[in-house]
Amino acid sequence: MGIDLQLIPKVLDPLPGGKGLTNAVDYIVNWARSSSLWPLVYGTSCCAIEMMATGAARHDISRFGAEVFRASPRQADLIILAGTLTEKMSHHLKTLYEQMPEPKYVIAMGACTISGGPFYYDNYSVIKGADRIVPVDVFIPGCPPRPEALLHGILELQKLISGETIRQPRVPRPLNDDPMIDRHSADAAAWKEEDKKIQEELAGKREQWAAENPDFKAYKGERFKNVSGPKMGHTPVERSCTSVADICAAVHDKFPDIPLYNKAEITDEELAELSPQYIPDFVVGQEQYTAFISFLKNHADLNMDLLLQVTAVDWKDHFDVLVHLYSTTGKHKIFVRCSVDYSKENDTPEIDTISHLFSGANWHEREIFDLFGITFTNHPDMRRILLRDDFVGHPLRKDFEDSSRIVKRPY
Amino acid sequence: MDLVQTEIPEGFTRSAGGGHTEEYYLNMGPQHPSTHGVLRLMVRLDGETVKEIVPHIGYIHRSIEKMAESQSLIQNIHLTDRLDYLSCHMTNLGLCLAIEQGADVGVPERAEYIRIIVCELQRIQSHLLWWGCFAMDLGALTAFLYGFDEREKITDLFEELCGARLTMNYFRPGGCVSDLPNEFIPRILKICEHMKTTLDEYDNLVSKNMIIRERTQGVGILSKERALSHGCTGPVARASGINYDVRKDEPYGIYNRFDFDVPLGATGDCYDRYTVRIEEMRQSIRILEQACKDLPDGDFRSKEKPNYKIPKDEHSFSSVETARGNFSTYVVSDGGKTPYRIKYRSPNFSHIGAINDMASGYKLADLVTVLATLDPVIPDIDR
Repeated sequence: MGIDLQLIPKVLDPLPGGKGLTNAVDYIVNWARSSSLWPLVYGTSCCAIEMMATGAARHDISRFGAEVFRASPRQADLIILAGTLTEKMSHHLKTLYEQMPEPKYVIAMGACTISGGPFYYDNYSVIKGADRIVPVDVFIPGCPPRPEALLHGILELQKLISGETIRQPRVPRPLNDDPMIDRHSADAAAWKEEDKKIQEELAGKREQWAAENPDFKAYKGERFKNVSGPKMGHTPVERSCTSVADICAAVHDKFPDIPLYNKAEITDEELAELSPQYIPDFVVGQEQYTAFISFLKNHADLNMDLLLQVTAVDWKDHFDVLVHLYSTTGKHKIFVRCSVDYSKENDTPEIDTISHLFSGANWHEREIFDLFGITFTNHPDMRRILLRDDFVGHPLRKDFEDSSRIVKRPY
Repeated sequence: MDLVQTEIPEGFTRSAGGGHTEEYYLNMGPQHPSTHGVLRLMVRLDGETVKEIVPHIGYIHRSIEKMAESQSLIQNIHLTDRLDYLSCHMTNLGLCLAIEQGADVGVPERAEYIRIIVCELQRIQSHLLWWGCFAMDLGALTAFLYGFDEREKITDLFEELCGARLTMNYFRPGGCVSDLPNEFIPRILKICEHMKTTLDEYDNLVSKNMIIRERTQGVGILSKERALSHGCTGPVARASGINYDVRKDEPYGIYNRFDFDVPLGATGDCYDRYTVRIEEMRQSIRILEQACKDLPDGDFRSKEKPNYKIPKDEHSFSSVETARGNFSTYVVSDGGKTPYRIKYRSPNFSHIGAINDMASGYKLADLVTVLATLDPVIPDIDR
């Protein structure tokens, strides 16, 4: 802008009636700025959908002049933090905030950006409040907030802007950048003190009121009656697929010593009676693991061509690596389970990869490496996938502890 | 600044150099309008041609699976809303089915029908949003407004049903939270009638549009073999010719009672993925009409239990077909109040893993088209 707005009060204010003129300039400038907010297209999760809904035909954010969603932070003066902020994303948010030109405003949309919301307890990756990273002007509660609430937030921001004056330009606010800071405990203690004072003040009045109204009985409320339906058991849907007995026969033809999980002693008669809902769960040793998966994939009748997932379970003394396979031709599923030894002394559990058999296994194995710390040998690209490279520990292990990040659920 | 990178960024198979022009790396995301959230793609380019893509995920990893281990099964239902928030009724259903199977809980007839009606409504709702965003990614803003206009009508119904517009939390083991509101079925049928004409309108607006066709036909081809190898499911797999729909092949609930077709694509390009989704909306309308016709009276929930427990050392596994594909819930129990481990299998995880196969060899602008037709929901990938 060619005119330096800050010169206006310096020139006008000493003149007779000049203060009124400065106020008029203030009013016009603020009106123009508050009615043409340019938000940044920034949305991480669920709230972003409500932000899109606010921009769409029904709610129409352009009634308030904020419809020009910009893809570049350099063109935006408002960032609506729509959705949860995680530790990995917070570094990028800092960059975005710093790239925006002054004066810039921040609306924190949704419970996650206020305090972590539903992700407050037992969580190792979510930043518990976006104001720990960037300074926030308006908070909008809700999970997610309705579009009307977002519009209300924008109106509140407009009020805030219209209170500004060119006599005292807005001071650029630095990043807070303290993801571990505890902003709630001090406030909560202060509220508790306040409440205690109020209760003490009220105690006398209450006694007095009770003496004046001896017949009064407090309303205790009614419990909602539980809606109860019929008592019934689960009835599985009939479906046609290869029977468990056939699958076991085909498998035991080649690998006779591979048992079913929890059903090692099962007889052939019992096997024939299992419903098609039962998914055969084979337990293999590490030495047979890849050979067995390869056999299942290439067997003409079984034809397990679709890899649903690879995952792991921590049983404290060992890990189970689970492979879930599905056949698009036979419509049946097979689970494979392989035990991986683990102890405190030997902290590097290892197992062979199956990513050469299924390309999809590549990412699933990286996820297990990230969250459980199981290394897959011969894997083409073994590095963390969900967490940052400098994250210490493997969070889905049962012995994972990180008191700096995790707030334990108190109930 | 030295533009030629000598170091290979992590994940790439070979360094830049050796193309027609000098190859270079480009970063896309995690803050990018067409990555539908916070997905980050590193791309190796030769001029404008994509040579290799390395996706980086985890920017919205919210440790839902860790949180699940300290809450009871029923307390976990609201967290599944936040996985795939565009088909949250279906993800709710996935966990409820796993609990019902493990804890032996039955579902009354009416509740089964309510579930089907609500899920199919949500499939249409999700695809409408995808349709709007797909066209917007390709540069047509009008479709976004059209799609959201129809979507709001279904959102109104959901709001009346469970009080929420996005995170529904409506299903419970054994049925639903509440019965359908009054005059709900006639309104659904009205929306079905309306949607039929609307879909024809959409065809005229976008499907038959020459520019859209030029940009999608023959672009982003995913072969059947590669789709299978990557574990693709849902519309992405069906566009590549894999006849796999959980509703048809492993019917859950009462899906085996309804008459509907599974649309399949021939080539597996972007246009196939587009038409498969449009056709799915038509099939959902068919299911809705049948379900609304047959909806019986009765209970909407079987008898509640104070806590749902899966017996010790047992696991239960359920698959549902969300708007994006096979969403599986795997619950492992040690007999305690809380689940020992829950694993959610998200369909998008496999699709994004396959993006290198789909988009390399095409132009950079086609990468945006491919992403738009995958319809990814990033919090579902990262969990």
